[in-house]
Amino acid sequence: MTTPRNIDGQDGYQVSFQKENESLLISLKGEFGLKNLTAFTREIRQAVSGHAIPTLTIDFSQVKYLDSAAALAFVQMEQEAASRKTNCHLANLSEEARGIFSVIHPDVLTRRPFKPEHTGEGVVQQIGQASLSIGRDFVNFITFIGDLLSALAYTVTHPATLRGKDVLFYVQRAGVDGLPIVILIGALMGLIMAFMSYLQFKQFGANIYVPTLVSFAMIKELGPIMTAILVAGRSGSAFAAEIGTMQVNEEVDALETMGFDPVRFLAVPKVLAAVIVVPILTVYADVSGILGGLIIGVTTLDLTFKTYISQSIKTIQVFDVVTSLIKAAVFAGLISAIGCQRGFQVRAGAQDVGKFTTSAVVAAIFLIVLTDSIFAVMLYYVKRYSVFA
Amino acid sequence: MTESSEKRTVLSVKNLTQRFDDNIVFEDVSFDVYQGEVLVIVGGSGCGKSTLLKIMIGLQKPYAGQVLYQGTDITRASDEALNEYRKNIGVLFQSGALFSSMSIKENIALPLQEYTDLDADTIDRVIRMKLGMVNLAGYENHNPSELSGGMKKRAGIARAMALDPRVLFLDELSAGLDPITAVELDDLIIKTNEALGTTMVIVTHELESIYKIAHRVLMLDKEARGMIAEGRPLELKENATDPRVRSFFLRQLPENQDEQRFYAD
Repeated sequence: MTTPRNIDGQDGYQVSFQKENESLLISLKGEFGLKNLTAFTREIRQAVSGHAIPTLTIDFSQVKYLDSAAALAFVQMEQEAASRKTNCHLANLSEEARGIFSVIHPDVLTRRPFKPEHTGEGVVQQIGQASLSIGRDFVNFITFIGDLLSALAYTVTHPATLRGKDVLFYVQRAGVDGLPIVILIGALMGLIMAFMSYLQFKQFGANIYVPTLVSFAMIKELGPIMTAILVAGRSGSAFAAEIGTMQVNEEVDALETMGFDPVRFLAVPKVLAAVIVVPILTVYADVSGILGGLIIGVTTLDLTFKTYISQSIKTIQVFDVVTSLIKAAVFAGLISAIGCQRGFQVRAGAQDVGKFTTSAVVAAIFLIVLTDSIFAVMLYYVKRYSVFA
Repeated sequence: MTESSEKRTVLSVKNLTQRFDDNIVFEDVSFDVYQGEVLVIVGGSGCGKSTLLKIMIGLQKPYAGQVLYQGTDITRASDEALNEYRKNIGVLFQSGALFSSMSIKENIALPLQEYTDLDADTIDRVIRMKLGMVNLAGYENHNPSELSGGMKKRAGIARAMALDPRVLFLDELSAGLDPITAVELDDLIIKTNEALGTTMVIVTHELESIYKIAHRVLMLDKEARGMIAEGRPLELKENATDPRVRSFFLRQLPENQDEQRFYAD
C-alpha cells in the first residue's frame, strides 16, 4: 500500500509501505521536518500499530531534507519498536542524515532534570510564606530607614557631599513636571466636592457652608493625601524603576566598589527633593481645590466671589495649614524612601523591576493612609492640650 | 562544508548602505552567504558589524541595498514575508537575551509552541534533544539567572536552534567568556555546523576562535566605510597586503601608527 503525497511543495513528502512476509519496509521520499512532523509520524504509527512486525526497515535513500526534530521522531520510533521486540533498522542514511542523527543522544531524552519543575505550594505553605515575607519586608524597610537617616545625618554634617545637581534634577522631575496634573486634579476635586455638598446643603439652606467644607477638607485631608498619591504614582515608581534598573546593570555594585554609599548617592537626593517639593505641590493642590469650589460657588450657589473667599479664609487656621504641610513632608519622605528601598531590592531581570515598582506604589499608598490616620488622632490631642486650643 | 560541492547561495547581500543622518556606517557592501558555511564578520569597534547583522536579520532597515533570501528582498519585505523569513533563521544575541521570567525549557518551547503543531510531549522531547546538543541536558527547569555566562549562551543557541533554522546568526559569540568556555563554544559551533549543516553568520573579534571556526572571513573597516577583505582566515593572516587587515590578524598596531593612536585616544 502506498500513500501518495504531493512532493512538489515546500514541505512535501511521501511515505510508502511495503509488506513482505514478516517484514515491513517504509520508504521515505521528500522533506521531513518540523513542518510535517505531526503528519508523517501519525501516518507511520497508524501503519505500524496493531500487528506484530518482526522486522521494520525505514529507507532514507530518497530523503531530500531532514531536520533534527524529524530525526528525533525516527529515533523514538526505533525505541518504541525495540520495546515491542521489533527489529527496527534505519537504512541508507546519507552523510548529512548520519550527522543529524549523531547529535541525538538517547540518554539525554530520559535524563531527569537537575531541578524539579516549579509547582505551586499548598495553602498553608503560601500563608506561611506570605507572613514570613511581610515580616522580612518590615525588617528590611526599617533597616533601610536607618541607613537613610544615617546617610541624611552624614549629608547634614558634610553638606559638601550632597549632590546638589541631582537634588535639583529630581525637584524638577517630581515637582515642576508634576505640577499641571496636581493642579488639575485639585481643581476638579474642589469642584466636585462643592457641587456634591451643595446638593445636600441646599435642603437646609446652608449653602454658605459649602466654602467652609471645601477649604477645610482640602487643607486638612484631601490636599496632602491626593498630592501624595499622585507623587507616589509619578515619582515613587520612577525612583524604584531607576534604582532597580541600575541594580540589574550592576551600577549599584559599581558605586559600592568605588567607595560610595549607594544610599547616600542615590536615595538622599531623591528623598530631599521629594521632601522639598511635595509640601509646595500640596499648597498648589489646596489653592486649586478652593478655586475649583469657587467656580461652583459663584456659578451655582449664588455666592459672591468675596463671600466665598472670606468664608474660606475664616475656616483656614494657621495650625491646620502648618500641620498639613508637615504631613505632606512626612508623606514625601515615606514615598521616596519606599521607592528607593524597593529599587534596591531588585536582584535580576526585567520582571523584578516591574514587581518592585508596583510594590513601591502599593506600599507607598498604604503608608500614606496609615500615617494619615495616625496624624488624625495625634493632631486632635495636640490641638486639645496645646496653646492653639 | 565540503570544498568540492558547488556553492549554493543562501543569503545574498547586495550594495548595502547604512547611514544615520550624515553618519555613514558603511557603503556598498556586497557578499553572499553559502549553504553550510561558517562566515565570520570581523572589524574594529564601530565598523558596523552589529548594524550589518541587524539588517540581515530584519531588525533594521538599510538606507539602500538589498538582502536576498530565496529571491525575496527582506529589507523591503512585507511583515508576513519577514515573519516567514524569521522562522528560517535563528539569532543568538550578545548576552543570550533569554527571557528572565521563564525557565530554560519555556524559553526553548516558545517558538515551538508558536510556530509548529507539535503536541506537548514531542515539544518536551525536542527541548531535551536541543539541550543535549548544547550540553545542557538536565537544566530545563533552571532560570536564566541561575546559569553562568557560557551556559546562557549555549541555552541561547538551543533556543535559536529550536526551529532547525537554515541560517544561524550569532552576535559577539565569545565576548566576555573565559578561554575554556570560549573553546567549548567554538567546538559546539563546529560540531553543530558539521552535524546539521547549519549555515552560520558570526560576528566576533576573538582571533583564536576565528582561526578555529571560520570557513570564510569578511572584514569591515570604519574608515573605509565598508568591506576591506574577504577570504579564509589563515590566508588573510599570511597573504594580506592591506596594513589594516594585517594588523588585525597579526594583532599589532599598524606600523608608524603606534604613536598617533596613543595620542589620538
